[in-house]
Amino acid sequence: MANINWRTIDVDAYDPESATNFPLTTLVPANLPAPSTSAESAQIGQQVRQLLRAGDSVGALQSALETAPLAGDEGAKQVHLATVLEVLQGIRQSEVHRILAEMLNQPGGAALGDTLMKYIYKGMASGAGGSGSKGMSPQVTGTGTGFSQIHGRHFGEGGGGQVMSVLLSWHEKLTEAVGVGGIVRVMSDRRTV
Amino acid sequence: MSGPEVHHLFHHPIADHSFSSDRQTLAVARDSNVELYHRSGPKFALKDELKGHDKTVTGVDIAPNSGMIVTCSQDRNAYVWEPSPTGWKPTLVLLRINRAATFVRWSPSEKKFAVGSGARVIAVCYFEEENDWWVSKHLKKPIRSTITTVAWHPNSVLLAAGSTDSHARVFSGFIKGIDDRPEPSVWGERLPFNTVCGEYLNDSAGWVHAVSFSPSGDALAFAAHDSSITVVYPAGPDQPPRAMVNISVQTLPFTSLIWSGEAEIIAAGYDCEPFRFRGGEAGWELAGSVETKHRPGLAAAREESALHMFRQMDLKGKVKDDTQLNTTHQNTVNTVRVYEQAGGAVKKFSTSGVDGRVVVWSL
Repeated sequence: MANINWRTIDVDAYDPESATNFPLTTLVPANLPAPSTSAESAQIGQQVRQLLRAGDSVGALQSALETAPLAGDEGAKQVHLATVLEVLQGIRQSEVHRILAEMLNQPGGAALGDTLMKYIYKGMASGAGGSGSKGMSPQVTGTGTGFSQIHGRHFGEGGGGQVMSVLLSWHEKLTEAVGVGGIVRVMSDRRTV
Repeated sequence: MSGPEVHHLFHHPIADHSFSSDRQTLAVARDSNVELYHRSGPKFALKDELKGHDKTVTGVDIAPNSGMIVTCSQDRNAYVWEPSPTGWKPTLVLLRINRAATFVRWSPSEKKFAVGSGARVIAVCYFEEENDWWVSKHLKKPIRSTITTVAWHPNSVLLAAGSTDSHARVFSGFIKGIDDRPEPSVWGERLPFNTVCGEYLNDSAGWVHAVSFSPSGDALAFAAHDSSITVVYPAGPDQPPRAMVNISVQTLPFTSLIWSGEAEIIAAGYDCEPFRFRGGEAGWELAGSVETKHRPGLAAAREESALHMFRQMDLKGKVKDDTQLNTTHQNTVNTVRVYEQAGGAVKKFSTSGVDGRVVVWSL
């Protein structure tokens, strides 16, 4: 008995009244899109890439952000992250200002800006992004890490420098447009990407 | 329009402040005490201290008519302070909570007050004549996390509360024998205690910092940590709201807000200055800061001679003094309150913040 480290006992598990014993789904708004899988994300990725290849950068970015799998599983989210990162890398730096202005000034554009900011942070958090972090099993233990937006960092993976510089430059230009409010919303929003 | 009236009381955060109805007395929560300041000429001078709590005081409210002061603290207690010939006399309130009390406000009728707490309950407190003490009833049902803020409806029955579970809710705090039966309103007709009249969550769902009913009581506004304010226009009991307008802004989140009329909201928070919102059911928008930037006094002080410039470079290694924010408050604003109103419109409001200042603004 004396060997039990009582400091590590999860006392909340024994308390039916505890705040941790309620479904976290009540904390996300009811108007979330339907749950999706990685196969669906891959299909959307194909369409987005076609738009990008056709030279429609605004359309590609917009459709990638509109179809974000907010209620998807972890696989779907990883696949979609790779798609968004590809779009961001595929847009020339000189065009970023124009594309952001065009996207943000339409009705509903503010929400797209917030989603883009989430992808920028997720891209930076996963190091190289896309393919690099796929092998790592993101540990989602249901309620335990339900609040966390960023699933661990992978330092020293290398090869991410180029993606990172693209993301930083997007971040700078997006912050100019949406202010610090957009960054705060990345942290508080429970609809993770 | 004159500039804001600034009272720098001390170098400590002010968790909450409240003016008496004649605006001669100012109560501020400082650490585990509440300090009472009296106006003497243009300034406020320390007159009294309310000592009794042994942890940080989180809320203070002076009842406008009776003059009674209610305070609550992280020590899980609330006191009602009444003036007596020998000084302020505290009465302990039986809150029955096992976590910190976070926020307290008198109802407009002044017969009750509500205390929010970390125990996921709101204690609605009222005076029990026969036992000669303040007792409480708990609002408990759908609350899943700490209550950060409460606000009363003008009818003293409905109570809005914001919580860290991202929901703003409207409850009935009807106490039999204390309250008169309220007039039916958009929030409902029959309102027994703990009726949930509304439960609102905005899309980006930050935890709620502030809630407030419009002057008529027919609309509710709340500010959340997603840098947005949301205004809800209810349609009637058990129906989805008629309109729910969300305005997300570019600034840092707001921690407190008031309505200055049916079509105007003042909000302030981590950006250290109050902002004005205007609109109605069709939509709301940010109308800019209340603060008039580039005050003449500020510009004059910045004018520097070459000698002064080189001296600064020598002493500090820089030319410009950038240790000051160009806002009146030098840190987060915690509380915004109505200071003076005439004919339903707010003429002046007061703010207090982490920088130890209380500022009275004219609109």
